[in-house]
Amino acid sequence: MPEPGRFRRALPSILSVALALLLCLVGLAIAKGSLPLALEAYGQLFIGGLGDIGGWLQGGRITLITRPLGETAIKASLLALVGLSVAVGFRVGLFNIGAQGQMMLGALAAAVVGAQLSLPAWLHVPVCLLVACVAGALWALPAGVLKLRRGVHEVISTIMLNWIAISLIDNWLAVGPLRAAATLGASRSGTDDVQVTAHLPRLFGALSRMNFGLVIALSALVLVWFWLFRSVHGFESRVAGLAPEAAQTAGIAGERRVLSGFLVSGALAGLAGAVWVLGTEFKYPGSLGAPYGFDGIGIALIGQNHPLGVGLSALFFGLMRAGGTRLQLFGVHKSFPELVQGLALLFVAANWAWGQLLARRVRPETGAPGANGDAMRPPLPPGENRVHGAEAGVGAPNASHDDDGATGTGDRTSSPLSKAEGGER
Amino acid sequence: MIAVFESLLSATLSAAPALVFATLGAVLSERSGVINIGVEGMMRLGAFCAAVSALWLPTPVALLVGMLAGALTAAMHALLCLKARADQVVAGMAINLVALAGVTFLLETWFQPYGTPSIAALTRHRFELLEGVPLLRALNGHTWLTPLALVLPFALHILLQRTPFGLRVRTVGERPTAAATLGIPVLRLRTLCVVAGGLFAGLGGAALSLSVLDRFEQHMPAGLGFMAVAAMVFGRWSALGAAGAALFFSAGSALRISLGSGVGGIVDAIPQGFLLALPYVLTLLVLSLQGRRTRPPAALGTPWSPETR
Amino acid sequence: MSLELRPGELLAVVGENGAGKSSLMNVLHGLYRPDSGEVRFDGRAVRLRTPADAMARGIGMVHQHFMLVPGLTVAENVVLGVEPTRRGLLDVREAQAQVAATCRRFGFELDPSVPVERLGVGQQQKVEIVRALHREARTLILDEPTAVLTPQEAEDLYRVARELAAAGTTVVFITHRLREVMEVAHRVAVMRRGRLVAEAATAQTSIAELASLMMGTSRDDPHADALAEFQASQATHASPTVARPKAEVTSDDAAPTGADAPLLELREVSVIEGGRAVLTHLNLELRAGDIVGIAGVDGNGQSELAEVVTGLRSFTHGELRVGGEALVTPSPAALRARGVAHIPEDRHRRAVVGAMSVEENLALGRQRTAPFARSGRIDFSGRSTRARKLVADFDVRPGDPALPMAALSGGNQQKAVLARELDLNPRVMVAVQPTRGLDFGSVAALHDRLRKVAQRGAAVLLISLDLDEVLALSHRIHVLHAGRITGTQVRGAFDPQVLGRLMMGAEAHA
Repeated sequence: MPEPGRFRRALPSILSVALALLLCLVGLAIAKGSLPLALEAYGQLFIGGLGDIGGWLQGGRITLITRPLGETAIKASLLALVGLSVAVGFRVGLFNIGAQGQMMLGALAAAVVGAQLSLPAWLHVPVCLLVACVAGALWALPAGVLKLRRGVHEVISTIMLNWIAISLIDNWLAVGPLRAAATLGASRSGTDDVQVTAHLPRLFGALSRMNFGLVIALSALVLVWFWLFRSVHGFESRVAGLAPEAAQTAGIAGERRVLSGFLVSGALAGLAGAVWVLGTEFKYPGSLGAPYGFDGIGIALIGQNHPLGVGLSALFFGLMRAGGTRLQLFGVHKSFPELVQGLALLFVAANWAWGQLLARRVRPETGAPGANGDAMRPPLPPGENRVHGAEAGVGAPNASHDDDGATGTGDRTSSPLSKAEGGER
Repeated sequence: MIAVFESLLSATLSAAPALVFATLGAVLSERSGVINIGVEGMMRLGAFCAAVSALWLPTPVALLVGMLAGALTAAMHALLCLKARADQVVAGMAINLVALAGVTFLLETWFQPYGTPSIAALTRHRFELLEGVPLLRALNGHTWLTPLALVLPFALHILLQRTPFGLRVRTVGERPTAAATLGIPVLRLRTLCVVAGGLFAGLGGAALSLSVLDRFEQHMPAGLGFMAVAAMVFGRWSALGAAGAALFFSAGSALRISLGSGVGGIVDAIPQGFLLALPYVLTLLVLSLQGRRTRPPAALGTPWSPETR
Repeated sequence: MSLELRPGELLAVVGENGAGKSSLMNVLHGLYRPDSGEVRFDGRAVRLRTPADAMARGIGMVHQHFMLVPGLTVAENVVLGVEPTRRGLLDVREAQAQVAATCRRFGFELDPSVPVERLGVGQQQKVEIVRALHREARTLILDEPTAVLTPQEAEDLYRVARELAAAGTTVVFITHRLREVMEVAHRVAVMRRGRLVAEAATAQTSIAELASLMMGTSRDDPHADALAEFQASQATHASPTVARPKAEVTSDDAAPTGADAPLLELREVSVIEGGRAVLTHLNLELRAGDIVGIAGVDGNGQSELAEVVTGLRSFTHGELRVGGEALVTPSPAALRARGVAHIPEDRHRRAVVGAMSVEENLALGRQRTAPFARSGRIDFSGRSTRARKLVADFDVRPGDPALPMAALSGGNQQKAVLARELDLNPRVMVAVQPTRGLDFGSVAALHDRLRKVAQRGAAVLLISLDLDEVLALSHRIHVLHAGRITGTQVRGAFDPQVLGRLMMGAEAHA
């Protein structure tokens, strides 16, 4: 049920992406010395993701559309799952930079269970997915516990856990104990091949590589949305993320909510790993090959940490990535979409500025922004994100904190990242 | 045994400068109250720009270009955090992503995907005098960045702890509003610290491509920037502590390398991956032991504007 | 508006919260720039663009929230921005000598080498004053200087202010405490809604007149009367020279003597934290209809006490009983379930979630029960109906429950909190600093509500740093000092001077 405010709330993200696209177009035109060429590259980029609809209408084969769409779906599913992982972390007040490591754990677990266990197909896939979720959650657990029990900032601990995962998996397990045995004298990289029973089924057979991972990603989006915005448990988790002390005062077991939310975040990243292995790679190839965890941060923030937004931004950037391969025809590296995504995140980060800009545009008559009772507030008000809960050490007088009217900047809750709130349903 | 020690020392001294510089940059920025998780990106751009400019320019000048690139990236960070009041962690990550994808893009557009061509690295100095002395011999064969990395932490320490400038920077990081009421320009000082921090990070990046290697390699700095952030936290935001942690981390990775090349037996028993993971596990352990006693600057991450009261 | 400051005078600027007092002074201090008009200094127009400009012209300000850096020493805090150096380095010894000299000159006793985090509030305020004087301030602006001081500390401050004025410094008190004005100021300026509405010599005006000017009402208005009464009641304890009206005990105010079990009881409760006793052998009893006040200087265990009785903090020894039942493992949820409502001290942190809607905030604490939820799912229609009702009943403005809480003013946020907590139909209401930062109208309304809660048969535990508030509401006052109850007074026998001494740690004589 779309609310009138939703589009306006999404506006900063949309404008950011548009601005990033424009900037990259200009850059490309300058680099190639020709604007038409750059425009054509952009066209190909989207054809590569959406499919050559024109060609199909002129009597081309259906695969002109289904193949590209399949690639888009594969990329988008992965981005949606890692993006959702990071977004759930934000919602419970934790910045999960560790999605990369959690995804590696999930991928490896799925690869091992998929290869080493022999089970009927209806059971094999769910078991693999479950094990991957558990593995991802387990890799998130230390960061969550250290944060809650020892006050170690999760950004630092998850970065450490990422590197530990890379060291142990890519530099030891995948090249050592778990490495596939050489066949016919030829050494192979990565782990053993996953058994066919554990492959994610393709949705359209030979027409496209689109697989069951899309269904998994969509279900995850819906389930997480239901949990966060429809269930009491999710409400409590969001309160715990936005204002841990208010949650405690309200009798909410805040720490438990935060920890369980963070485990869900890890599990989603693990699930992404499983979908990647069981859907396209069919083994753990020796490394993740791309900074999916970082992509997740971009997707989550551009999607404003809302499942719907995450889904949409994952779809958009998945589409661009699927089309990115086409760019190589123009001598443009396929990392181009990632550049767009990075820039878009950069602009999204300047959210406060967008809020100011839009507020001024919408209500020019209200003098200074942030004036008394300013109802048109930026959707993500900048809060005070205090690392490590730094406290006022001095016996400062705590007389009145706020006069009336100090509304816009008065948020003192601890996590600034998950504030795209305000009665979302 | 001494040989192992020598190679360890030598490897540490040649690898450490990059990490030390980046760590000091992070310290400077965060002491003024601005979270700097974008060190990785600043290093990457520094390393890349230094290597590219070294193709045409004399290497020492290229070093300056690298520093400048880091500073410009940091200026972007400052603009986002201080002007647009972005969330500082998010802004830092955004910078990392842009640097990662942008440099890859440029690298492939202009050169090969795996790196730039070789360039003339900084001169490595040798002293005949030291050549014959055991242990001290390890001091040979380094660029002038190594002594700089040993001196700079002390300089920054004095700057932060003993000068009026440092007192003001610390005040801005702890109680920005208090600083403002005393006429200390909070935002200008923070901008200065962030940009100077970027200068350091750029220097660290340039050290990678001009001193450690003689070209830009596609994965640079391969997580060293995050390591710098860890070293800063490890060293509790003090210049000396953080630099000490950076040296310790460098020694950790040097240990792996020199063990790998030196004494085969040990490495066979301990998988490489374990040794690789060691510094990270140690950081995690120490952080969990320090726990809440680590006290970052009180205003760290807090956006401030003259209207914030 | 126009205002004139004369050398050597003590001027009071009064007005309600939000009347523009602080903005005016921030203009003088260069933090804000006026949109029009000018600041003249010694007859010449000057432009105060930054605090540095103001300081250069000898205008110093002591802020309501102290502007000190806790980790730095007194000397470092004072010289910050005008540091003495030697060969480019900070000259610590010279700084300490300079600060010691300033202290001597103006008669302050402060050790320049102590970190300010070890000083009490009154001492910290002196550091701020010394800081201004150190910069040769000839005009000293004090923003709500006595808000957090004990009566004795306040007296001390008045003495300092008088001495400074006598020595030729212009001292400006920004305050909303009228008794303070009558006591110290030579002249008073009244502000209302950003305008200067009156200016008079203190000797030629009265508390009642100032009160009605502040409120902007005629003398007949009940609000003005209420304010005058309130301010007059403040006057009772401030100075022995003002006649103290007899503390009348009406039937409303009398503490009922219910025979049944206390609604809330603390028995020998001790809290030890980090090897330090923050609460020691505390005994407390709240019966139906009681309003029990806890007075004390900040940091003497008030927060801990509030946390103990609301289940936020576990205690080392003793017993917490609610309605006669001893709680083995008190938790916020357990206490809420037993009808203990809570208006927390730090509204922004503990009471509301600024980024969530008013409606969601109204559900907080009861989010699992009807009408807010049904079988683990949020009951949107039930929640919205209840939220609309509460917003209307408690006059929360603007009355749109879908707005984010942060868009509401402090007073309206507090109204919403009160609405939520009273909707629990509590047996015990724990109110900690409930009126902090509210304007006078909201204060009066909130006090009214609290009285009604007690009249309905619930008990109220009022913990406040504002002695006036405690005096105005309580049937019984306990003084908390260093985690112990050091004295108790019953309504009718309140003696603010004695309470003040108890708050400072004097032993109870009676």
